[in-house]
Amino acid sequence: MYSFTKPKKKQFFKEDTKLWLVFYAISVFLYVSFALFLLVKAYFYSKNNQIYNQNIITLNTKISSLTLQKENIKLQKTIYEDIMVKNSLIKDSIKNLLDLIPDPITLNKFLLKKDSLIIYGITPTKDVYNLLMLPPLESIFTKTDTTFYQMPNGWYKFKSINKLKGNNETAFN
Amino acid sequence: MKLPSIKIKLPKLKIYGIDVIKNALFFAFYISMTLFIIAFIIAPSVKIFKNEKNSYFLSKQEFDNTKQNYQHILEQLTKLQNQNQQILNAFKRNFNENNFKLFAKNYMNIIKITKQKTIPYKNQFAKTSYMITAQIKSPKNFYDFINNIKNYKNIIRVYFPIDFEKSNKEINLTFKIETYRLLTAKAEEKAH
Repeated sequence: MYSFTKPKKKQFFKEDTKLWLVFYAISVFLYVSFALFLLVKAYFYSKNNQIYNQNIITLNTKISSLTLQKENIKLQKTIYEDIMVKNSLIKDSIKNLLDLIPDPITLNKFLLKKDSLIIYGITPTKDVYNLLMLPPLESIFTKTDTTFYQMPNGWYKFKSINKLKGNNETAFN
Repeated sequence: MKLPSIKIKLPKLKIYGIDVIKNALFFAFYISMTLFIIAFIIAPSVKIFKNEKNSYFLSKQEFDNTKQNYQHILEQLTKLQNQNQQILNAFKRNFNENNFKLFAKNYMNIIKITKQKTIPYKNQFAKTSYMITAQIKSPKNFYDFINNIKNYKNIIRVYFPIDFEKSNKEINLTFKIETYRLLTAKAEEKAH
């Protein structure tokens, strides 16, 4: 039998079905692309996060080191100031001791230790020493022993040993 | 036994040649697929992204704070170092007897310096004792010496025993000094 029209090829999918399938494919591609984009972004955030965390650890180590240095400087300053105050106190101790000596008494030698003072000197009479020098010494020291030696001219050489009770105390401060 | 074959035949409703029921089914499937992808792919991705973003900004904020703190401490340290440069240098230097004699010459005539012992002090420092034998003209020389020792290039403490003995026109003086030095500091002998 002869036909005037050529036979049409039968399509596997109809036109509208094809359209839907293309639409599905594009949509799935876009959805997955969006999800991938978010994951890539999240990856970079995570990487930068790690870098920041490492930097924080490094900075904290540096801060500890700086704080230690600061404490060291403060300690050195405190020691320096303490030493200078103690030097000043020693100077005042000697000044005060020499101011204690009344005019008639001559001082030959004194030995100042942390908790004691030994004075060697000459006094015209024992009374001058006992009246003018002994009271201030007794007010400073807890124990005072004085030995007199008479000189040919009638004056007295004396040796006064003065002690403080506590070991941490220093004379005249 | 042969299973009965189930044949579902969709009714056909066409408007202007468009199969309404088939397209409605495609649309319904599209909606279901979208919901499925959102639920199982996009939503978890968004969650991961949000978590990472939040922790990133938290870390960034913590880093900024730490950096600010570091800068602040560094500034304080530099200020402290500048303010106490003289003290810090003094703790680093070694004690030099000749240099000390030269310094003390203005106040006393040093006859002898005897080194006694070196002991550790507060873990970080070394304390060395010296006995000084000298002659002074008046006690004022000794006071001036103590007043000016704070300007000396070493840290020096004048300590007991201090012995004053009158000898003709001068006073024989014996006293102890203690010098302090940082144990970790390198000797700066060239500074002398």
